Amino acid sequence: MVLFERIEFYFQTVFQIASDPLHIAILFGSVLLGIIFGAMPGLTSTLGVALLTTMTYGMDTATAMLCLLAIYVGGTYGGSYASILINIPGTAASAATALDGYPLALKGEGGKAIGLTTTSSAIGTIISMLFLVCISPMISFFALQFTSFEFFLLAFFGILISGTLTSPDLVIKGWISGFLGLFLACVGRDMLQFYPRFTFGIPELDSGVEVVPVLIGAFGIPQIIQVLKDRFQIGEAQKFQRILPEFGTIVKNIPKIVRSALIGVGIGAVPGIGEDIAAWVSYGAAKNASKHPERFGTGEYTAVLSTEVANNACVGGAMIPLLNLGIPGSPPAAMLLGALMLHGVTPGPMINFEHPNFIIEVAAILLLASLTMWVVGMLLAKQVVKVLRIPTQIFMPIIGVLCIIGSYALGMNIYNLYLMLPVGIISYFLIEMGFPIAPLVIGVILGPMADENLRRALMVSQGSFLPVFTRPVALVLFLIIVWTVLSQFKLFKDYKNRLVAKIFPRGSAKAELLPKQSEEK
Amino acid sequence: MMDKDKLRKTDIYSGAAICVFGLWIVLQAIKMPMKDSWGGVQNVWYVSPAIFPLFVGCMIMLLGALLCRTALRTVGFKAFRETVRWLLSKTLWQFLNSIPVLRFYTIVVLFLSFVFLMIPRIDFFLCAFLFLTVFITSFYFDDAMLLRKLFFFYLAGIMVLILYFACGVNDPLSQIVPFPADILTTCFLVSYSVYAWILIRGNPLLRKKYRTAMIVAFASPLVVGMIFKYFLLVPMPSEGLVVAVTDYLWYFEF
Repeated sequence: MVLFERIEFYFQTVFQIASDPLHIAILFGSVLLGIIFGAMPGLTSTLGVALLTTMTYGMDTATAMLCLLAIYVGGTYGGSYASILINIPGTAASAATALDGYPLALKGEGGKAIGLTTTSSAIGTIISMLFLVCISPMISFFALQFTSFEFFLLAFFGILISGTLTSPDLVIKGWISGFLGLFLACVGRDMLQFYPRFTFGIPELDSGVEVVPVLIGAFGIPQIIQVLKDRFQIGEAQKFQRILPEFGTIVKNIPKIVRSALIGVGIGAVPGIGEDIAAWVSYGAAKNASKHPERFGTGEYTAVLSTEVANNACVGGAMIPLLNLGIPGSPPAAMLLGALMLHGVTPGPMINFEHPNFIIEVAAILLLASLTMWVVGMLLAKQVVKVLRIPTQIFMPIIGVLCIIGSYALGMNIYNLYLMLPVGIISYFLIEMGFPIAPLVIGVILGPMADENLRRALMVSQGSFLPVFTRPVALVLFLIIVWTVLSQFKLFKDYKNRLVAKIFPRGSAKAELLPKQSEEK
Repeated sequence: MMDKDKLRKTDIYSGAAICVFGLWIVLQAIKMPMKDSWGGVQNVWYVSPAIFPLFVGCMIMLLGALLCRTALRTVGFKAFRETVRWLLSKTLWQFLNSIPVLRFYTIVVLFLSFVFLMIPRIDFFLCAFLFLTVFITSFYFDDAMLLRKLFFFYLAGIMVLILYFACGVNDPLSQIVPFPADILTTCFLVSYSVYAWILIRGNPLLRKKYRTAMIVAFASPLVVGMIFKYFLLVPMPSEGLVVAVTDYLWYFEF
């Protein structure tokens, strides 16, 4: 009975949004803006969500979510335009699409490739939305059994795994970035005793570091500096013919779509890991499973389809931990978390009690956003591609002004700017030195959760760490954390290999032979 | 991002700096109440506000040291000595004078002056117009010599503005003339625009770029400012000459 009521409410919400002209206008506007942000190399969907957040301050929560989810979905899809037409990924998420999309455009099949990415992106988002609706009640129920120890370990695991998987260089750098974020979260009066930490007597720091200006600074300013310093130029876009939905190709590849969607949802649900990793993993899986892996990289439709389904499926996947545990699944989801907090919605296991229909509303918005994205992609792709002609030297300074006025508009506090700019400049240097920025942002967001839960847990246990080993979930999380850390050290890797060789002598002998055989070939 | 070899060399210094930073966090955290009385309540170590910063500081220190050690093991002390030699040589001066670094300075100086000097004191529309004019013209012309000349001209103007505010001339002057800082900024904007025009007037391609830059620099803050001020009802950080005019027009009763 409850299930039918929820399904009924879902369709009611869909029709309610779809029947309001203002909501439809907002949906189309935000998706279009997202596609433009995604398509323009140098701009990202995270920055799009960040800048739009500042404009949703005066809106009600539902309308704000409509704007932000629409720009997120549009931004993730829009990156494929630049990948296919100019061989420069509009966003990191569409980098894998460029490998086969651009050769297709060179063959004169750019329109077909864009049609395929449009349909597959919409399907990816819809599948991930189904997962969000189905899995959320289970995760939420499970999370209600968590105590402070589990929440502390979960937050800590989120920062560690994000640092491990997003680091472009050494894994240590990802972890350092995460801990720097945790340090930023320490600034301000602590929640238990109201003691000022690292405030240096500055009253504006008493309330702590504002998340949204930090996010705008960390994602926006380094992008502007990088693009203009390195004289980044957008090349000439390839011409393309009519765009068709390519339903025939879609129907032929249903198993591949399901596989890519599962990869996207799975990777999206891992804290702090973005759409780019989902796209690459899906590309690799499609290549491994293909009968003709040699065709990958020369203009293979399956490759384009797998990457686009996976990166858009990440959107719904990232919402699963965000809404049920309060842990963002990707950088744009981190921005959404900031936006939700601004609107008085605290994501976490209690969300189903405090806002009983919120997840259903989010699912309804995701469905409508993906359908709008499909319509916009089919009808306006040729017009949107024209934005690729705008020189970066013109739009980047405007983005700079938007970053500044946007950071100020949140709380109308000029101090936000004094925070945003240094964070942006420091982030630029960190990026240049190979430190990833996503763990830093995740650290700032999860810091208060980790701090409060650690101290609350120790208060309950009277300073004892024993519950970590006596509570099954806490123990599992602790062991995963230990494994994640140890598995990065050579000593541990060697020991593990020796152990595996002892336990499975045949398997390891085979494994040793394989590389030799491939070398001989 | 830099190449791997350069990264390892910089990792030696960044690792050491991060380690020192971690140590500083730990030292600051130690000053926080651990077992003392705070606000009339006797503390115990596990509810102390220091516990989390101590953990974070120790981890940063440890990871910084680990990064430094990894870098030293990869490139060795020889690379460390090479870097120190490079830092003391003339090559450093050449590097600091190179065009990519000049582009970096320009962006950073533009942002710093906009945020810390102009936004709190000068009408938002005017300072955003100036910021965009300088930013777009400096980079859109795509000429290193022009960038250098325009940057130094802007730097001189900024010095004048800093002197003007630092000497405290603004307050007494505003008793006599309305919006003196805005008038000064307008003069700076006009003189910069004229200087840029003089520099590029002989080149038809640059003349076209100049026109585009000026239109974008004028229209963008107007549109953005209008949206935030009149639709999202966000008062501008500093409202002066232009906002007074737009307020008059917006609230004019026909």
